[in-house]
Amino acid sequence: MRIAVCLKYVPDPSTIEVDPLTGMIDIGRVLYMMNPADESALELALRLRPPDGTVTVFSVGPIEADRLLQDALAAGADAALRVWDDALGSLKPIVTTTLLAAALRVKALPDLVLCGGHSVDRGSGTVPALLAEHLDWPVVTDVTQFEIQSGRLRARRRLARGARAESEVTLPAILGLETGLVHLRQASLPNLMRVKYTPIPLYGLEELGLSPQDLHFPAMTLHEVMPPRPRARMMFTPDVGGSVQERVAQIMSAGVAGKAGKILESGTPEQQADAIIAFLCQRGFLEQPT
Amino acid sequence: MTTHPANQQFDVIVVGAGPAGSAAALLVARAGLKVLLLERGEYPGAKNVSGAVFYGSAILNELIPNWWEQAPVERPVCRRDIAFMSPTTAVALDFRCAGAGFATAPYNGFTVLRPKFDRWLAAQAEAAGAFVLTSAVVDDVLRENGRIVGVRVRREQGEIYGKVVIACDGVNSFLAKKAGLQREFHPHELSLGVKEVLGLDPAIIQDRFHLTDNDGIAYEYLGAITEDVHGGAFLYTNRDSLSLGVIGQVSSLVERRKRPYELLERFKAHPAVAPLVRGGKLREYSAHLIPESGWAMKPKLYTDGMLVAGDAAGFCLAAGLYLEGMNYAMQSGLAAAETAILACQKGNFSARTLSVYQKNLKQRHVSTDFRAYRHAPSFVNGPRLQNLYPEMVAQGMEQIFRVDGAPKRKILPLAYRMVRQSSIKPGQLLRDVYQVARAYLW
Repeated sequence: MRIAVCLKYVPDPSTIEVDPLTGMIDIGRVLYMMNPADESALELALRLRPPDGTVTVFSVGPIEADRLLQDALAAGADAALRVWDDALGSLKPIVTTTLLAAALRVKALPDLVLCGGHSVDRGSGTVPALLAEHLDWPVVTDVTQFEIQSGRLRARRRLARGARAESEVTLPAILGLETGLVHLRQASLPNLMRVKYTPIPLYGLEELGLSPQDLHFPAMTLHEVMPPRPRARMMFTPDVGGSVQERVAQIMSAGVAGKAGKILESGTPEQQADAIIAFLCQRGFLEQPT
Repeated sequence: MTTHPANQQFDVIVVGAGPAGSAAALLVARAGLKVLLLERGEYPGAKNVSGAVFYGSAILNELIPNWWEQAPVERPVCRRDIAFMSPTTAVALDFRCAGAGFATAPYNGFTVLRPKFDRWLAAQAEAAGAFVLTSAVVDDVLRENGRIVGVRVRREQGEIYGKVVIACDGVNSFLAKKAGLQREFHPHELSLGVKEVLGLDPAIIQDRFHLTDNDGIAYEYLGAITEDVHGGAFLYTNRDSLSLGVIGQVSSLVERRKRPYELLERFKAHPAVAPLVRGGKLREYSAHLIPESGWAMKPKLYTDGMLVAGDAAGFCLAAGLYLEGMNYAMQSGLAAAETAILACQKGNFSARTLSVYQKNLKQRHVSTDFRAYRHAPSFVNGPRLQNLYPEMVAQGMEQIFRVDGAPKRKILPLAYRMVRQSSIKPGQLLRDVYQVARAYLW
């Protein structure tokens, strides 16, 4: 089995200090590290790797990210690849995933891609899903455990409010893993020394078969920032139609009822997505598409 | 000798990437030998602390000509102040030098920020061919037939072999102790320095300290600053910050039950210091042990397969007028490197061969300086010179300058009265005068 792990080069939050003179983050003091969620994804990949399997690590980042890929090699990854182009500035998740998808294709697509679910810097949590969109593969996010049996992957997910879910997908697939599931093993001294000056192959846009236009996505612009506002409470009025007992019970409970979720089971993914969008528009979370 | 896999076998292993270790690794690498520089921090300099003024400009200039053009230095030190303090007054000796190697190349000394400076120095060693490994904590020395043949790093398969090990692992050197070269220290031999870096606008620094352009100043304070704890204080100007701190002898901190940070706060509040640090914004806080007893705490400097340099060897000159460490660290590192290179050429790593280190230290004026000032530390770090006399000087000046209608006294009767009022006995005073003379004059 061939496993790919996506690693992000992120600032270590404990080293971020604000310069008291300028009020800006003192860039010179920031140390960078492997994103913690990606670190546990790498460790899981190394544990999962069968004797004939490989683990390849990918990162989109500047030359400094080589150190992180070297650390991954020292821990036991078989190969590493860095994607960068000096024209790239701050990376939006959509750009990162376009580059990652191209890099995965260049290296011949793996059977499984493991990503950390969230990065400590941007933390959009969108990379696994966007990558799945690029590759047209199934994706499971918020994964805490998983096992693979005869080409099928069964994953346990941690959802909001303590809920758990289990999903099953066929390989090839992408997983977005929770932070802190396992610790990355400490590299042995010989391995650490072996990789210290190992060159990491660099792929630019040309090597990936991409042009700058491929990375041009409609710019996201920020129109307005508003403080969160509590939703207006509606005064509860009991239904006049029911029996006395029902009305008393309604008054006693002040109208509190469990929020009703709805599970979309029928329809194609596109129809389901449309239904979700319609629901969000109806509740005022999204503007009506024009 | 047993052979080991090529990537686990080095000619020289240097432990600790401070000024001693990086200078040693640089020199060994330039000699074409295979050298490994091990550092426990995440990067070289991450864990290194000192005042910090680097008075070794000329030494480094021999290795890297015009090094200050590329190194992250703060300000060349063109002014030095030694101030004697009482709780409310201060008398200062102010030295200024506008040229002649202080404000111009090759300079006398620079204020530096150690994390930046040490990182740069280690990068020079790396560029010269040294293998620099960070996040590598050394736990022990490896021995074969009684000879030290390498070190063990705290990692899986952490054994690593070198023909010569140079221990530059700082004060309280773990390696020197493991090798049986150093004893445990006594609390009176060590001082604890606590330090703050306060951010301040460069224009304010220049105005406030009367500095032209990028020049810098180093203040050292003696007297009432540390109350009855034996010690002193310092304040140095960086480019856009001040480094200031208090140094207190560990044993007297313990005896007097004083907390170092309380002393630092008192220092900052002293009327002579407060206007200098006003408006400074705290950027860093750090603390470190300082080996202050010089010659008296010097370990055995070499054994079969190993040399000791820098703070690990106690090469820190804290003797009142002098507060120098990084320059001696660098010199001793270079002397150790020269010794290791010679041993590699001869193919002999016995203590007998490595004893050339002593000669090299003499040539680089390290051991000669420490021998010359061997009487200074025990006396300077004593209570009378660090606290009592400076305070008396400050109080005496106050009385000389005070005009309050009382009859003027000449200095001698004034001094006589002050001595009588203090706890000092005349015999003690005479002995101290003799000791000062012996420590500094001849």
